[in-house]
Amino acid sequence: MNCVELHHSLTEIEDGSRPDQRAHLKTCPECSALVAELNLIAATATELQAAHEPSPRVWNSIEIALRQEGLIRAQHAGRSLLPAFSSRWGWARWMAPAAAVLLLTVGIYIRQHSQPQQIASTYPVARPDATDLPIAGLNDDDLMQEVAQQSPATQAKYTDNLRRVNQYIADAKSNLAAYPNDEEARRSLLAAYQEKAMLFEFAMDRSLP
Amino acid sequence: MSGRKLATLGAVSGAASQALTGALCGALPGTPAGLIGGAVTRAIAGAVFGVIAAGALVAQANAAPIHAAPIHKDLHFNVSARAGVSVNNAYGSISVKPSSGNTVSINALLFSDKVEVDSNQTGNRVDIQTHLLPGATVDSGRVDYEILVPADASITLHSSTGPLRAEKLHGDLTLEGADATVDVRDITSAHVHVKTLNGPVTLTNVQDGHVEVDSLSGDVTLNRVTGPLVQVISTSGGINYIGDFGDSGEYRLTSHSGNIEATVPETTSANVSASSVRGEVHDDIPLQPRTHTAFIVKQGSAFVGTMGRAAVSSTVVLRSFSGKIHLSKRTSK
Repeated sequence: MNCVELHHSLTEIEDGSRPDQRAHLKTCPECSALVAELNLIAATATELQAAHEPSPRVWNSIEIALRQEGLIRAQHAGRSLLPAFSSRWGWARWMAPAAAVLLLTVGIYIRQHSQPQQIASTYPVARPDATDLPIAGLNDDDLMQEVAQQSPATQAKYTDNLRRVNQYIADAKSNLAAYPNDEEARRSLLAAYQEKAMLFEFAMDRSLP
Repeated sequence: MSGRKLATLGAVSGAASQALTGALCGALPGTPAGLIGGAVTRAIAGAVFGVIAAGALVAQANAAPIHAAPIHKDLHFNVSARAGVSVNNAYGSISVKPSSGNTVSINALLFSDKVEVDSNQTGNRVDIQTHLLPGATVDSGRVDYEILVPADASITLHSSTGPLRAEKLHGDLTLEGADATVDVRDITSAHVHVKTLNGPVTLTNVQDGHVEVDSLSGDVTLNRVTGPLVQVISTSGGINYIGDFGDSGEYRLTSHSGNIEATVPETTSANVSASSVRGEVHDDIPLQPRTHTAFIVKQGSAFVGTMGRAAVSSTVVLRSFSGKIHLSKRTSK
């Protein structure tokens, strides 16, 4: 076995423990050093995985992004990228990544509106209209459905907060329309959407078992 | 059921039985109590009340039992520098203070056996999770935590009801709770992120912080909070800043309908811009005017200027739609 053959064989037996691999490693200090490094990386990676396991929400976000890109399809059986969710609240678990996508969409929307008119006319793009919330699969009915099982007092709070934040968004939009070059007006609209995303996030947290 | 509850139920039983006897006699106008006989009336009343009492006992047994005395649970974890500690509590308070050594100590007070505390240590990270069992309610699912951590630990706290408290730490802090009151004090050189829907937020003596507070309708009070970035977003809650805006940070206080009040000492140096679309704007401090502004300054609804030394100053942006904005000078006591 030469060095090239050993490198190919490492894709199958990556720790160099096969007899022919061991024979080559005894005579080749460079390959021996390479295998030692690979073993070290593998061992360290295991520890890193345990110490920095991303939260389920990270996996949610990755999966929703992959679905939107059409890179993966829904799995009806077997292991999913997502942790197992109860069917009752399964749809609600999408709210956090959906809120993130909403913010991203709004960010793009605001950025597009902030470009000089000349650039906008050169590169025409489809802009979301005022009803941009459903873009992320996020609407007020979903929110109220999410808190429907809560006490009347809690539902009243969410209804009130929803009304306030929607008014915030409406005002921020009209202000940005009036002053399209005002950086602070753009920030305010983003802040308003951030508040709404937070409202959805808390509504989702309440339903956790 | 505790003995005290049984005794109380017994006392109520006697009074209720007597009341029921009277009610039965009243409900049978043609059969006066004397005619039927007191013994018969009392027997019927006793039987009826017995059924009611039995039903009450069954209902009590099915409801979430709450122990007369809360259950204590102590947990201890050895960690090294810059540990991570996360506490996810459904209902109840979380208080975090610094410990003297490299130990994370958790003192949990469980208010019933309908709730458990799960813990997990992975490397230098400790995760605490309140685990609600079937039938748990806001009351029976409550757990109050008192936690000691190394001062440099990064902390993440979550509780729907709170309150959430953290003090005398210099690791990063994240505190979230829909209705939770949040109280953070004496924090240095840390990221402090707070999110609430309705709960009031108070940050006191946070130095060199990277502070971000989002509160939908809770009031936010910042007292001596400085750092490279201090940002508050509120929809309807008021924002109250008391301090000197540091010397080189960016301070953004934004609300929709909540009022913004900033009270600063005379020595403050800051480039200030304030604007309210429909609310009033007042400043009690003479500002050196700036010629170039990012927005049109309308008298009464906006002001822009520099206070103190422009060369050593922070950027302060106060922005509201319908809330009032007031920049005032702190009076010396």
